[in-house]
Amino acid sequence: MTWTLIGWLVIGIAAVLLAAFWILFRTHDFYAIRYSAAIQSLQCAQSGAIERGRSRQLVLGNQLNGWTYPGLGLHALACLPGFLSQESVVEGGLSVASGDGELVVFARQIARQYYQQGFSLGLHQVGVQTMLPGPTPWSLTAGLLSTHPQNNSGSTALLGYFGAEALLWSEAALGNGGDVFSAGGTLAGQSVLFLNVRDLLIGERVFMMPGKPDANRVSLAGWLTEDVLRLFLIVGLVVGAILKMVGVL
Amino acid sequence: MKKLPAIIVSVAIGLTVLAGYFFQAELSTVLSLIVDWGILLAGVAGLIGLGYLAQYHLTRLMKREKGAFFSLITLLVFLFTLVAGLTLTTQNPFYRNLILNVQVSVEASLLAVLAVTLMFASLKLIRTRGWTPMSVGFLISALISLVLNLGVGMTESGTVLGELVAFWRRLPIVGARGILLGMAIGGLIVGLRILLGMHRPYGEE
Repeated sequence: MTWTLIGWLVIGIAAVLLAAFWILFRTHDFYAIRYSAAIQSLQCAQSGAIERGRSRQLVLGNQLNGWTYPGLGLHALACLPGFLSQESVVEGGLSVASGDGELVVFARQIARQYYQQGFSLGLHQVGVQTMLPGPTPWSLTAGLLSTHPQNNSGSTALLGYFGAEALLWSEAALGNGGDVFSAGGTLAGQSVLFLNVRDLLIGERVFMMPGKPDANRVSLAGWLTEDVLRLFLIVGLVVGAILKMVGVL
Repeated sequence: MKKLPAIIVSVAIGLTVLAGYFFQAELSTVLSLIVDWGILLAGVAGLIGLGYLAQYHLTRLMKREKGAFFSLITLLVFLFTLVAGLTLTTQNPFYRNLILNVQVSVEASLLAVLAVTLMFASLKLIRTRGWTPMSVGFLISALISLVLNLGVGMTESGTVLGELVAFWRRLPIVGARGILLGMAIGGLIVGLRILLGMHRPYGEE
């Protein structure tokens, strides 16, 4: 048995479990929605920013397809609809920024789709601002720092693929009196943000985001599948370690 | 319902690519065609993204917003780079030196700012997060790693101290692997949810 085969076996099991739980949750709703203080805090910050007329920024990272962390760019796009409630979109204070042209194009399409479901572009032109301040990680940083709303920062959410440069983005937002939330980033990005961002999701908790705050059965099925796979992995690692210790492997 | 054809096409393409890893010989021609289309679409999307970059700075310039002068510089440099790249090509040594010498120095200056910010953020850690086990553990492990990376405690392997130091050096790698495994599972589930058409970020959940 090769490692590639093991990998495909894991993907196959995950697909089957996901489909099975998805069907199961049609009639049963027994899996508890997990509480996350960071996500609650993000919701409060978003509502507070709308009420006070402050800006809200969503940074989708600088790569859609990263080889080291392949799911992060896609994850950022999957989270975007959670920020696009009708109230949030018509208010006009939400801007979505990224350092990757593809991400910006897809984000713009998603935002326009949600906007057109509730409003007519002919009657109301505000919508969501999508922008590409710079096409590389550092030019994105320079662009974000120079365009950050002075003294009007409400809520900033950092998602997707980014590195240690995110510390500068968060510092700019916090310095302008805003709140920062992060669910994404490489290991370096997550560790530097641990230093000054209170509302931070690390590791596998990052992938709780698309289902939050209003979890549907797809999210519940996803979380349960993740938990089952994690359990398999833990058991596999422990058994592997024991077998290695006794000299079987 | 109007999105159904798009969902069917995307799911079919996704599953074909996935199946292509198992049946490489049978699906190689279809796979190469799909990958070529994907690269083409990604290239066009990237080009449109660059259009947004120009549009964004042009709008700032037209509205005379704060910092519009920097947008003017960005646009001028963007145009110069584009024209030079098209006429001289990216293989031209002058062009390559010009771009690298500007880009590297600008990035290095931002890296220097990051280093200072990182130091101040480290000093503020307890104020930001309080005296929690996580923050204290983070600080202690960061300090130990810094000291070990200075070369302190470098002894021959086989001794108790040497094994202890080697253990401490391995700990961050172990932690990183744990986080990466969790992220890999999370990424896999997000991908499968989209691939199987269960999660549709573009609407009509």
